[in-house]
Amino acid sequence: MPAVEMVGVSKTYRRRGGQPFRALDDLHMTVASGGVHGLLGPNGSGKTTSIRVLLGLVRPDPGAGGMLLLDRPVPAELPGVIADVGALVETPLFSPGLSGRMNLRLLAEAAGVPRSRIEECLELVDLRDRAGDRFKGYSLGMKQRLGIAAALLKAPRLLILDEPSNGLDPAGIRDVRELVRRLGHDGRTTVLVSSHLLSEVQQMCDSVTILARGRQVASGPVSEVLSRAGSGDVRVTVPDPAAAAAVLAAAGYSVSPAPDGQVLVHGAPAPGAITRVLAERGHYVEELVRVTPDLESAFLAITGGQA
Amino acid sequence: MSAATQQPKAPPGPEGTRGTGSLLRSELLRFATRRFIQVLLGLAVLGWLGAIGIGLLSFDHPTAADYAAAEANYEQALDADEQWREDCAEAAGQPTADFCGPPLQVEDFLTVQPFDLGSTAIPGAMSAAAGAAVLAFLVGATWIGAEWSNRSIVALLFWVPNRLKVMGAKLGVLAIAAAVIGLAAQAAWLAMAWILDAAAGSGRELADGFWSELLAAQGRAVLLTVLVALLGFGLANLTRNTGAALGIAFVYFAILEGMLRAFIGMAAERWSLMVNTVALVLPGGTRIYDWDAAYTAEPPSYLVTNLHGGLVVGVYAAVIVGIGVWLFARRDLQ
Repeated sequence: MPAVEMVGVSKTYRRRGGQPFRALDDLHMTVASGGVHGLLGPNGSGKTTSIRVLLGLVRPDPGAGGMLLLDRPVPAELPGVIADVGALVETPLFSPGLSGRMNLRLLAEAAGVPRSRIEECLELVDLRDRAGDRFKGYSLGMKQRLGIAAALLKAPRLLILDEPSNGLDPAGIRDVRELVRRLGHDGRTTVLVSSHLLSEVQQMCDSVTILARGRQVASGPVSEVLSRAGSGDVRVTVPDPAAAAAVLAAAGYSVSPAPDGQVLVHGAPAPGAITRVLAERGHYVEELVRVTPDLESAFLAITGGQA
Repeated sequence: MSAATQQPKAPPGPEGTRGTGSLLRSELLRFATRRFIQVLLGLAVLGWLGAIGIGLLSFDHPTAADYAAAEANYEQALDADEQWREDCAEAAGQPTADFCGPPLQVEDFLTVQPFDLGSTAIPGAMSAAAGAAVLAFLVGATWIGAEWSNRSIVALLFWVPNRLKVMGAKLGVLAIAAAVIGLAAQAAWLAMAWILDAAAGSGRELADGFWSELLAAQGRAVLLTVLVALLGFGLANLTRNTGAALGIAFVYFAILEGMLRAFIGMAAERWSLMVNTVALVLPGGTRIYDWDAAYTAEPPSYLVTNLHGGLVVGVYAAVIVGIGVWLFARRDLQ
């Protein structure tokens, strides 16, 4: 059962006196249950709009398309499923004159969440000591952490976090990353996290959907998306790199020198064949590593450098 | 962040299930914790205490010396008053008392007056109603205006996605709060009247039907407070801004109503918010006159009854609130 499914969803914003803007364009997205799923895309690619559409804040264009949240159609059955969905969308929205704890209590009262859970969540985001302070006195990072605490109040089966690291210092970013990974692997929670920090998604997520201009351009396990966008390059370490490069070039490979006396072989679909070619000419491979592109390279390759 | 606390395996609540949430209870709590509303209510209480103080300084039992001074002034004015009343009756062609008012009395010249509950109760209740209505308008406007300002109403939709339910809870809380404000204002007036009567009361007997007329007027005043609170809420919800709602109210009462009255006359007055507000609470309603029409003794008039006033103000409130709720239910929220 997918935690989230969007099939052919479109959203067009109509601006007074301006051209209509198509924020989502026949978007298809599936988030499997369990684990951490990243939603990646350049600004204006439709990440936040897709989350808003899922949560019923924004109406999709009428007509084709459908959405499921935890296997229930939304927005029709959103009131029935919302108790299992926690969300933080963009900036946390709280009453500035009230304390962090009181802000959580107001939400907890509305949903019948016991007060003990408020303290648990404050503890979870390390905000218990400052929970009595007014929200307007919080730093950006503390506000973000309170937003995450609010999203966790319901102990949701699906946790949606839109740019959760915004405003956090490096230690805070690391803590959020650990928290998200822990939640995503507790056997109960699915986490959908959007981020513009590619390295963050790479470290945090098991799978990823990449959006560009409101459409999905890639989706799947992070490693798979990376390899799909990968170059197929292989880095070979041998005692005599120059001679080995000549052998490989003679065998039809495209090669170039690499740092530290290595040879870089481009576009090698079967790295094992490289070992055999070199061994037949007396060059024994000490190390052979497939060069994996990082998500940033993959992202730029997939989106055509729109970021 | 702490790694000690883990996500529970089941939703929180008794035996792994969530309790029954109460949006209304949550909104009541939110209302009670709203600081600006607390300040407004605090200022109202201070105003009430100030009014009691002024009343205690203004009313007193007149002494024999006060009566002697009043008698002397009365004697001096009597001849001139009698002459004026004769001239007045002759010009009007009607009995003097009907058209020119009652003759002077010694009590009219007393510089120190006792508090007379019988003649002051209704005007006092109307003043309390006016004060409560202004307060309720501010409370209604800031209640929803602040929600739009900090967008916490959007955050609430992550918990209760049914927008009509959210708006209904906020309106319900406001109606309850406005009714409490209206009741408290009228109770405060009765308490103040009791204090002034005990300290400097005239001791005159109350007329038959005094209490029934007063309590009915006070009941209508509570209704007015609720309707005006809803008007404030509706305007702030439409503009998504407390200040804009107050600005619209000011422009309407200070400029628009005057212009309509000047250009359209009595037809506009019959449907004006101000006239109908007054008509709702005043015993017997209020009569409006067409001063532009040709007349001899009295201009043509129209009685705006309590029911007429209540219905007109109620329809204004329903339309303004209804449009805001309809837009809230349909619009995209960013």
